[in-house]
Amino acid sequence: MANVRLEGVKKAYGTIEILRNIDLTIDHGEFVVFVGPSGSGKSTLLRMIGGLERISGGRLLIDNEVVNNVDAADRNLGMVFQSYALYPHMTVRENFAFPLRMAKMARAEIKTRVAETSSLLQIDHLLDRKPRQLSGGQRQRVAIGRAIVRQPKVFLFDEPLSNLDTELRVQMRVQIAKLHKQLGNTMIYVTHDQIEAMTMADKIVVLKDGNIEQVGSPHDLYHNPASRFVAGFIGSPKMNFLDGHVEAAHEGGMDVKLEAGATVSVPVQPDQRLVGKPITLGIRPDDFSQSPAQETDIAIELDVDFVEHLGSVTYIYGNAGKQTVVAKAPKPAPPKGSGKLRLAVSPADCHLFTSNGRALRRLRAPADWS
Amino acid sequence: MRPRRSLTSNCILNLLVAISALILTFPLVWIVMMSLKQQAQVMTWPPTFLFRPTLENFRVLFDIAEAGATSYGTIKVDFLTPITNSVVIALGSVVISLLAGVPAGYVLARRDIPLKEDIAFFILGFRFAPVLLVVMPLFSIFQTIGLYDTFFGMIWVYQVVTLPMIVWLSRSYIEDLPKDIEEAAAIDGAMPVQIVLHIVLPLLKPGLIGASLLIFLLAWHNFALGLILSSTKAPVTVALLKLLNPGVQFYPVMAAGLVVTMIVPVILIVIGQRHLERGLTFGAVK
Repeated sequence: MANVRLEGVKKAYGTIEILRNIDLTIDHGEFVVFVGPSGSGKSTLLRMIGGLERISGGRLLIDNEVVNNVDAADRNLGMVFQSYALYPHMTVRENFAFPLRMAKMARAEIKTRVAETSSLLQIDHLLDRKPRQLSGGQRQRVAIGRAIVRQPKVFLFDEPLSNLDTELRVQMRVQIAKLHKQLGNTMIYVTHDQIEAMTMADKIVVLKDGNIEQVGSPHDLYHNPASRFVAGFIGSPKMNFLDGHVEAAHEGGMDVKLEAGATVSVPVQPDQRLVGKPITLGIRPDDFSQSPAQETDIAIELDVDFVEHLGSVTYIYGNAGKQTVVAKAPKPAPPKGSGKLRLAVSPADCHLFTSNGRALRRLRAPADWS
Repeated sequence: MRPRRSLTSNCILNLLVAISALILTFPLVWIVMMSLKQQAQVMTWPPTFLFRPTLENFRVLFDIAEAGATSYGTIKVDFLTPITNSVVIALGSVVISLLAGVPAGYVLARRDIPLKEDIAFFILGFRFAPVLLVVMPLFSIFQTIGLYDTFFGMIWVYQVVTLPMIVWLSRSYIEDLPKDIEEAAAIDGAMPVQIVLHIVLPLLKPGLIGASLLIFLLAWHNFALGLILSSTKAPVTVALLKLLNPGVQFYPVMAAGLVVTMIVPVILIVIGQRHLERGLTFGAVK
């Protein structure tokens, strides 16, 4: 149990910079998810915390102690690898006992700990099997068990669920979240799956090209993305982006004329310097409704291309002017095929992004879920 | 599904297999037959395939007491000594190669060291040169420093043959082990030496047994090193040559010696094969 602090942490291979000046504080007991596209440096960052990669610059503190030059073996962490990385020549019991043996724990204590861990993960009956005799989900649980058996300060998860099928992934996601509640340890979790990030995290760290793009709660990231990148990355299906330009800035927000035709007055922090400049309007697919509820709502005319029925929801893919738009179909009557469709959006649900991708602060974002 | 072959092409293929099998086994069969014949029968023309087998040649091969008193001339063989020599030298070479070569292979596979590829290629380079190239200068050096005709010297010089193989084979086996497993052990609190002892070596075991068998055979069959750098500690390959002395050629005894020489590796391979578990790493990583 511990906090983790990164101060200006850098990673470079020769002249190639993988991570630039990462500043981040992870509090005791927090479940933090690093999320980002491949190559964003999220796994490297996790491996640096784990002691598997050297830190090229800055300081890494675990429990307020600088650990830049402490070996992985001495950091007292637990890690679950994407590949599970079980010891194939050892039984599940021996896999569990290995970290305890390395810590020179008494035999009786090892026995108790192994029994506790296996019953926590409900794998008592598998203790005498070798990893090759286990299914994917069982191997995953053994890998988690091996990480928690030593009761480490911090747990690291490196895309632990990406090898599992969808159903098992949902199960394990719930189990890991439960485990976090039960154990209360600090957990750092790397994934490229934004749904995992949204469902499990107390705090999400979005990484892009070796930089932290935004740190915040799932709610924060969803409703107040700091940039167009975060807005597009969090949420599924992706946020729609419509091009336009700023007509006016006033106290209530900014007036934007869309290329598709409509003019919208979006309630964001006004910025006079942007008047006349190009701007991008962001609308989440979930924020469309069938008919305008209020006068101020924007009407968008959609040429329907394709309708995707998923059971509980239906998504409409179409074009507004030259731009592709995905919208959640309004209930109760989702359209069947192609044709024209009029949808409405409340300006309060819209996001604005400047041409360099920065988001303008929204004035009427929904309150936090919690 | 495999395409069905016609009867004729099937027959032709089987015939070809039979012919190549015959060609391959003929020398072996010939040697075994020869070892069971008497001196007089060996040289007859046309060769006889039906004869009363005798174990006399094997008796002569190992008999120390009655050395010299054979039915076909004076001969002193004492084949047990060269066999012992060969076993000591070959086993010693394998052990030393494993002790030195596996750590070297590990470093070449896992660590970033300067000139890594050059070092690896340099080690392999010993296998390019004919062994005789090394032997000539070594002959005088060994005589000067007192290593000539000693087990120590022989095992040392045999490393030219065995060590590069072990280094390269263990390097490639280690490269095949998922690195995650070692990293997991490091996170679990294992020091580098513990990782090698508890994780890497057990996983390498099947590969190393195979590699050891291979280099044992290389050492066992080596001829040039023993011929020049030993006399009383000469291995079997050199002892066999001594049976071809200028006066009388003891072909049947030599054939018996060859049979014995072949049997040792065959036994080893049969024993060793059982340890060659396959797919031990299956289940470690997806």
